[in-house]
Amino acid sequence: MSASSRVVLEIKNAVKAFGGVQALSGADLVLYEGEIHALLGENGAGKSTLLKSLAGVHRIDSGSITLNGNSFQQGSTRTAQQQGVAVIYQEPSLFPDLTLAENVFVGRHLQTAKMVDWSKMQLEAKTLFDQLGVDLDVNRIARGLSIADQQIVEIVKALSIKAQVIVMDEPTAALSSKEVERLFSVARTLRDQNCAVVFVSHRLDEVFALCQRMTVMRDGATVGSDEITNVSEAQIIKMMVGREVSELFPKQPPKLGDVVLKVENLCSSGQFAGINFEVRKGEIFGLAGLVGSGRSEIVRAIFGVDQYDTGSVSVHGVSLPKGSASKAMAAGIALVPEDRRQQGLLMPYSIAKNTSITVLQKLIRRFVVRRKSEEQVGLKWAKTLQLKFTSIGDAVERLSGGNQQKVVLGKWLATDPAVLIVDEPTRGIDVGTKSEVHRLLSEMAQEGLAIIMVSSELPEVLGMADRIVVMREGRQVGTLSRDEATPEKVISLATGAGALR
Amino acid sequence: MTNLSTPKNLLTWDKGVVLFLVISIFIGSFASEYFATASNLSFVIASIAEIAIIAIAMAYLIIAGEIDLSVASIMALTSASVGYAFQAGVAFELAVVIGLVVGLLAGLFNGVLVTVFGLPSLAVTIATLALFRGLCWVLLENKPVNQLPREWIDLGNKNIPGTFFPWATILVVLLAGTAWFVLHHTKLGRWVFAIGTNADASRFSGIPVNSVKLGLFAFTGLMSAVAGVVYTLRFASASPDGGTGYELSVIAAVLFGGVAIAGGVGTMWGVLAAVLSLGVIKSGLQLAGFSANALLIVSGGLLLISVILPRVTEFVRVHRSKASTIKRTQ
Amino acid sequence: MRALGRLIRVREVPVLLGLVIVFVGTGLLNPIFFSVSILNDILFGVAIVATLAIAQTFVIVMRHIDLSVGSVVGFTSFLIGDLSSKGFSLGAVLLAALLVGASVGAVNGFLVAYLGLPSLVVTLATLYIVRGIFNEVGKGQTIVESMVPEELNWLGLNRLFGISYLFIIVLVLMVFAGFLMHRTRAARDLYAIGSNPSAAGLVGIPVKLRVLLAFTSTGAISGLAGAVMLARFNSSSTQSGLGLELLVIAACVVGGVSIAGGTGSVFGAVSGAVLLQTILMAIGALGIPQFWQLAVNGTLIIAAIGLDRYLSTRVKSSNIMGASS
Repeated sequence: MSASSRVVLEIKNAVKAFGGVQALSGADLVLYEGEIHALLGENGAGKSTLLKSLAGVHRIDSGSITLNGNSFQQGSTRTAQQQGVAVIYQEPSLFPDLTLAENVFVGRHLQTAKMVDWSKMQLEAKTLFDQLGVDLDVNRIARGLSIADQQIVEIVKALSIKAQVIVMDEPTAALSSKEVERLFSVARTLRDQNCAVVFVSHRLDEVFALCQRMTVMRDGATVGSDEITNVSEAQIIKMMVGREVSELFPKQPPKLGDVVLKVENLCSSGQFAGINFEVRKGEIFGLAGLVGSGRSEIVRAIFGVDQYDTGSVSVHGVSLPKGSASKAMAAGIALVPEDRRQQGLLMPYSIAKNTSITVLQKLIRRFVVRRKSEEQVGLKWAKTLQLKFTSIGDAVERLSGGNQQKVVLGKWLATDPAVLIVDEPTRGIDVGTKSEVHRLLSEMAQEGLAIIMVSSELPEVLGMADRIVVMREGRQVGTLSRDEATPEKVISLATGAGALR
Repeated sequence: MTNLSTPKNLLTWDKGVVLFLVISIFIGSFASEYFATASNLSFVIASIAEIAIIAIAMAYLIIAGEIDLSVASIMALTSASVGYAFQAGVAFELAVVIGLVVGLLAGLFNGVLVTVFGLPSLAVTIATLALFRGLCWVLLENKPVNQLPREWIDLGNKNIPGTFFPWATILVVLLAGTAWFVLHHTKLGRWVFAIGTNADASRFSGIPVNSVKLGLFAFTGLMSAVAGVVYTLRFASASPDGGTGYELSVIAAVLFGGVAIAGGVGTMWGVLAAVLSLGVIKSGLQLAGFSANALLIVSGGLLLISVILPRVTEFVRVHRSKASTIKRTQ
Repeated sequence: MRALGRLIRVREVPVLLGLVIVFVGTGLLNPIFFSVSILNDILFGVAIVATLAIAQTFVIVMRHIDLSVGSVVGFTSFLIGDLSSKGFSLGAVLLAALLVGASVGAVNGFLVAYLGLPSLVVTLATLYIVRGIFNEVGKGQTIVESMVPEELNWLGLNRLFGISYLFIIVLVLMVFAGFLMHRTRAARDLYAIGSNPSAAGLVGIPVKLRVLLAFTSTGAISGLAGAVMLARFNSSSTQSGLGLELLVIAACVVGGVSIAGGTGSVFGAVSGAVLLQTILMAIGALGIPQFWQLAVNGTLIIAAIGLDRYLSTRVKSSNIMGASS
């Protein structure tokens, strides 16, 4: 990128709301041709929504997007691609049974005399792979490719449609350091070919190694944009985090009791290893780390939905057999899962039915599960959690995200657990409900509940947790007490920044 | 495919099937003077007894999001096992028990392939449809067993004294009643519906999804076996090609009865009304002089309607809500 | 060509291997099996299932299924004989057969593609509806040899270089269909649809149209297969084709056309059909009662499904530590 580079893409003042949640509240982005541009911000800052709008998945409510000086046509992934914008997602969606060459050209196979020309496709695909310096056999099927290789295929696909803007959405989350190097080299090649590459990542060391310019987003708006050489890591973190931690609900000092849950040397190959920690009664134990660091896998293994290989989990000193959620529940563990819609709730079911699904056994009178009892349970917890609803028989899919999360909480609190695990408890929830949930968790902790909180939102972890364990790539890399913990320390441990310097 | 029916919708479908049944009976009475006779009604009930028994189990299975196409073959295998054992000199009572065990094992076999090996139930049960039927041929070759004990055949064919209900009716009523109770009023029933709605969320709620599914396949095998015994007694014969094509009638009845093919929705009432409707239609068609083909066409047609109708109503509902959203934002 | 070679190496190896093992194994135990005439009998007997299996491949690679083929082929075999005996020319009756098959296919395709109905249920229903209509039209009659068109009779009786003309037809169809499946965009789209249904629409493939056309083609070929059936048996009745769909699907699955979609070839489908037919004859040659055939077929399908599943889950994408949650 030189001083005379032209602007390829300009997003001005993008605003977008989903229901009650404001995802974008004035986001700006300027891309020049021939640059690698970092898009930074915490989870929930709005990066994903901005990029999806660019990819054609959403339409922004107001603001403008201009590509090469022309108004950018929004709302369709196909037209986005036709206009030269390609997005490479963290989990690419290739066609596993087709060869790499065919994956590159799927839907628009190269033809000679109306017949698919395999050698031509193979040749062109090979040329593109070579241009990127990647050695993959274009004739192998896509099934079995590592995520790193899948991303490369997607990039080649983007090149073959002559994309001018290539967005990489957190591409390095699942990559080894060697694969990261290869990806960097590919990105640099793209830059040299005058593409504008958007690089979304939490790993500041990578950002400094690869990018020329950066834009930081926070709470749906752009808070800063500059050349990389002009900023320091500390300044970026400050821009990302911004908000004062004390804005959150002031937490009471914990009344700690005995150890309730003990995890010893938990290992699951390919996911996490050497996990050791204890959680006490009345404690809020935070599991921090980047998306993909293995935290959800660990709590799922503790709860028994997933298996693990070695190690042990014990509740009140009693060893818990692995792989059985019902046994974990019986021992007093509850898990509010990460994916509310797919794992946490039965969407077509009513509030009452969702709340009571975990305690059906308790609702049986004379061999019958009483419908009235289901409704009572639903009402009780709806009241306790101050749920906003019309009728207890309403389907939960009608509720807002925040209220849905309350139903999930209610369903688990109904089991009267000893340990409550919450995985990203306030993701996708409006600010008001967010603080309600925080208040609730604090209260429960005060009453003696042991809480494990998995969260990617720094303020949340820092504000709520009594102790924080930071994970990186499946391993525990640090433990911080409430007093010790600062955003810088957590991010630094989570990304390994500073370790490489 | 997600199923978005609210309880209100389901009641409508239920009522619809019962209404259909009533209308069919009316039409049947007009179509032929023999329709409303005791002997004909007896015949109708007898002819759908096996289908009803299997449909009870199939309803559970489809609600839970699975399917079993091998039920007719399990039915026949049970029949063949009973015949084979009896012919080999085993007491008939014991032969019946053996047959039931065979059916249960067959169901378990299906269940293990699906839950332990993770194979898709559709494909697997197409295969076991062949396998179990094939075993019938291996057992009996092409020599059906026709010499069955008199008392048992009577049980399979005569009516309860003083009524026009065949003895099998008691069995059907007992099974149906229990199945209805369990499905709609017990924890297990709640689990079955939840699994069919979202197996993942069910797992995360502590429901032992694989165990339940395995049990349902075993149950289906057992019910197919019971139907097989009833069938054997009714026809007084154990033959390797018995009950061919019954799986269609069962699935048609279950789907027509309001059970969604995607799972998560259905009632026992609806299924039973649908089974009865099939029997009534069959009888009506026969009495009106139609050949058995008409029934084939009608069964196929009902099956299609059962899956098309929900789509159409969903389409209409989505359009209506879109229209009202547009109104609201104007 | 090399791409073709690579494809074959993985998917069709089990079935070809199976063929060799069964043929050689049986031959060793009963040397009579090693005769050319046995081979020709196999190829003669397999023609119908092989033709239907080629047609079925179009829908299975899309992750769908067509259970109505047995009813269609039975119906058209009857229709050809019936119309022929009433004086219609061969061309006309073949056209009629094609149209009947294509119509059924189009109905199937429309319901699956545009109404989003599951193909299992739809084709199960049309299986019975068509059989019912067939029975009505047929009224229990039988098509006898005198009603079979001369040309078909001739094809059924004669051989080219020792191979029955019926199988030659299969070979020609296989080469033609194989070419289409490999060299036309429309057919390659079918593989994409089966491999990743949700992504297929996103890359610009006209999914609904493709599904409709595929089912229509399957129906059309199944309709024409009625001619092969009539030539093979020199007769037809309302029992014709009963239960054939099971064999056809078995042939496909065993031949490497995965039930999960996205992969498989017409060559594999035909090989699967030949294997099943070989096993049928092997059972006889080994003195095993014919009654074992169905059970063996069923077991084979289970094995094929299991192997298919094993192959596809064995090569998991290696998510190194830090896989996304």
